[in-house]
Amino acid sequence: MAAGSAIPQHLLAPETLAGLANLDLVARAVVNGFLTGMHRSPFFGFSQEFAEYRAYAEGDDPRFVDWNVYARTDRTYIKRYIGETNTRLVILLDASASMGFGSGKVTKLLYGKFLAATLAYLAARQHDAVGLIVFDDKIREHRRASTRGGRLSGVLHAIDRAEPGTGTDLKVPFERFHEVEHGRGLVAVISDFYCDPDALLKSVQPLAYQGQDVILFQLLDPQELKPVLKESALIEDMESGQTMEVSPIYMSSKYRERIDAHVELMHKSALRAGADHRLVNITEPLDSVLRSYLLFRQRRG
Amino acid sequence: MSLLAPAFLLGLLAVGLPWWLHRLSSDNPNKQKFSSLMFLEPGEPRRVLAKKVQYLLLLALRVGVLVLLALAFAEPAIWRTPQAGGDADGARLHLIVLDGSASMGYGDRWDRARAAANDVLDDIGAEDRAQIVLAGRQFEVLGPATADVASLRQTLNTAEPGLFRLEYGQLMRSIDGLIRTAELPVVLDLVTDVQATGLPTRFGELAPRRPAEIVLHDVTDGAAENWTVDSFGASTVTGELTASIRSFAADDATRTVTLSQNGREVGEQEVAVPAGGRAEVAFPALDLARGSNRVEVAVSPADDLVADDRRYLAIKRPEPRKVLVLAQNVEGRGPLFTSAALETLTTLALTADVRTTPLGDPPLLDYSFVVVTDVGLLDAAQAKAIQDYVEGGGRALLATGPRSGGLTTLPITGQALRTNPQMGARAGVAIGEVDATHPVLRGVEELRAANFTRSVNVEPAEADRVLMSLADGTPLLLERTMGAGRVLLFTSSLDREWNDLPVQPAFVPLMAGIANHLLGGAGFTSEADLGSTLASRALGFAGAQIFDPRGGAALGLGAGSEDVLLDQVGFYEVVGGGTSELVAVNFDARESDLKPVDATTLERWRGLGVRPGEQVTPVAAAAETDSVPSSIGPWLVTVLLLLVVMESLVGNWHLRIRRGVAA
Repeated sequence: MAAGSAIPQHLLAPETLAGLANLDLVARAVVNGFLTGMHRSPFFGFSQEFAEYRAYAEGDDPRFVDWNVYARTDRTYIKRYIGETNTRLVILLDASASMGFGSGKVTKLLYGKFLAATLAYLAARQHDAVGLIVFDDKIREHRRASTRGGRLSGVLHAIDRAEPGTGTDLKVPFERFHEVEHGRGLVAVISDFYCDPDALLKSVQPLAYQGQDVILFQLLDPQELKPVLKESALIEDMESGQTMEVSPIYMSSKYRERIDAHVELMHKSALRAGADHRLVNITEPLDSVLRSYLLFRQRRG
Repeated sequence: MSLLAPAFLLGLLAVGLPWWLHRLSSDNPNKQKFSSLMFLEPGEPRRVLAKKVQYLLLLALRVGVLVLLALAFAEPAIWRTPQAGGDADGARLHLIVLDGSASMGYGDRWDRARAAANDVLDDIGAEDRAQIVLAGRQFEVLGPATADVASLRQTLNTAEPGLFRLEYGQLMRSIDGLIRTAELPVVLDLVTDVQATGLPTRFGELAPRRPAEIVLHDVTDGAAENWTVDSFGASTVTGELTASIRSFAADDATRTVTLSQNGREVGEQEVAVPAGGRAEVAFPALDLARGSNRVEVAVSPADDLVADDRRYLAIKRPEPRKVLVLAQNVEGRGPLFTSAALETLTTLALTADVRTTPLGDPPLLDYSFVVVTDVGLLDAAQAKAIQDYVEGGGRALLATGPRSGGLTTLPITGQALRTNPQMGARAGVAIGEVDATHPVLRGVEELRAANFTRSVNVEPAEADRVLMSLADGTPLLLERTMGAGRVLLFTSSLDREWNDLPVQPAFVPLMAGIANHLLGGAGFTSEADLGSTLASRALGFAGAQIFDPRGGAALGLGAGSEDVLLDQVGFYEVVGGGTSELVAVNFDARESDLKPVDATTLERWRGLGVRPGEQVTPVAAAAETDSVPSSIGPWLVTVLLLLVVMESLVGNWHLRIRRGVAA
């Protein structure tokens, strides 16, 4: 089940990242390692290579005004580099009780925190505004998207404080987002999505109509995807506390069919809502997840 | 069932281990947390129930294995009778008990008894067994229990009734031994004439102590008529002969009574005997020949019970003999009354030698018997001398008196004295119970006219025979056999201090009876009970030979024993040292009364046994003393192995369920 052997040396396995004390350090290690491997990559935008000039508009950071051009032309131009888009990323992190499940050292929530931190760090490097909503069945943390200095640090601290809570209600964060975020941007939802796909569709669709680009990271543990039960067991729901005696034969056959169908349905629902859906096995390195994000960003940017 | 090594039952404590593990497993099921039950379905209820049932079955099997293991080590055993054949369904042992008493010789009763026994043999089942017992003076088992009816009939034909009396209580006690050892349920077939005189004092003695069905075969046939000579004696005072003829018939009758002496008829009288009553016949004193004389009295015509139509008496011609009378004062009233009474008995020719202590000259052996007027005056040496004399074959009459008041035990006999409130002056008490069958008191009348104010209250020992008691129950005259001799104890005085007996008409006959009895074969008359024993040494012989009434040599009862069982009526003759003595043995008068037990009593007697057809566990099968343990350990081990195999199978099944493998 562990994918450690398949992970390149410059990448860090989730178990290794779990040993790092600082989430900022985790994000840097992931992004730097990821960028190191991008030298021969067909992707671009994450370098300081010049791309074009653009007329200064209100709201742009004055630090990026090319004063040399202003001296020659008496006009203010902003210097743009390849990969810079000046967009906004809002991360919706599910911190419900079910996210506390993990068959190894890394739980889904911990992996989600790594992913959220990494995305936030990567976005900050590109000068994108970063916002955060942590939720379970209610909003537990909310940081509005901003490019101001120190914003990344605040987001990372908020991510770090996230602990498994109670139940899940995806409607709540999307409504909050709809209330406070009005500009076009990126929305990354990190959750295990134990919900009705149609309900999710209803929550995501308004954002798509608003012009938001939504990507759904569905985090699942290998035991949730391909569970192995040695004997009949009393299974306790981490959110509701209900129990159910389940036989190994069911878990090894019918359950797998049902979870696969659910993932497939989630994928289709996301597409219908104009969102991207990415299933993440929490044993895989963050590298491949970041790659999915960049593809998504490039496609939408 | 019992355990040969019960300590191994401590191994049962190991049952707690699987029980505890079961509880532990039940309390701590395999519980896992999971993100959501959204895609889960509960296991099939049947499967879950099957798992629980299987787990309980597994627990039961494991507990069973441990219990059986402990039991196998504890070696349980059942007690079984070694001999086979004790458990045949419905089989019975018919214990055919033939009443062999003298009354069964009446008419054709014995033939009917045989017929009844044969009827029982006709009816026994193929699995039944039968055994024949002849009950008379002794309990005689005629062969083993068998299903061979032919041999049983042969045995039956050889059985004959005797002359003895049968007491049913004694019979039931004797039968207990046979019932106890029986391997089959017992049916007690008692073939008898159910004589009323054979009933015990307590009705409960008729109940068998072990369960058995009682079947009474009454062989009587209507009313039986019988006339008998129920007593015959000679007056020790006058020598006059008296016979009593008793009727057990419904009608008055006239009977002829014939007296014969040494085989020659010397007298005959006609006597009218009332229905159910008695008639006395007296004959004058006989001219006796030297030595012992055979005197017989017979009633005729003969009836259906011949054995009781004749009575015998051995009478000896008197020879001068001395009696020692010990007293505190030779001129006292005690020795006066005693010596006067004794010397009046011309038939005994006694001379009283009244003396005071000390003893020794002449020696005690010169006297026929000794009379002590007050045992309290004897010191220890004198008491020891008289005791040695008695135990050597001597006879003594011991009386009490004022000197006996401070004693706690009597000298010579050693009998204990009760706390004695009667020693004080009191209102007079008459004589109560009298054993009229004893030779001392036979024919002694008007005893109850005497009045007693004081007596010594003696605690009778087991060997003592109380011949006479006061009305308040205090023993008055007791007999004890000591060694080869005999002692009579009179618990009051022989003077007039404590009673007025010496001046009563009964005193001389009483002293005559006492003297004649103490003299034994040397007395005027000599009698013995049928069924008792006779030893030649008791008659003063050494190495004498005893001949029975038919003239045959009577054999001793056992190796080295000189005692001879008196099992015939008539005259036994003891011959030795150039002389001979006769002992008359007579029919037990109680057998002459042929009246049967009433129907109600018979029904009650039958009710003391188990009901016909009721299943009765053979006593021998339940008696541990007759059984041997048979271990059932091998059976337990077999079951244990079976349980182990089942435990493995069920355990495997249970694990399949736990693993979720399709069953």
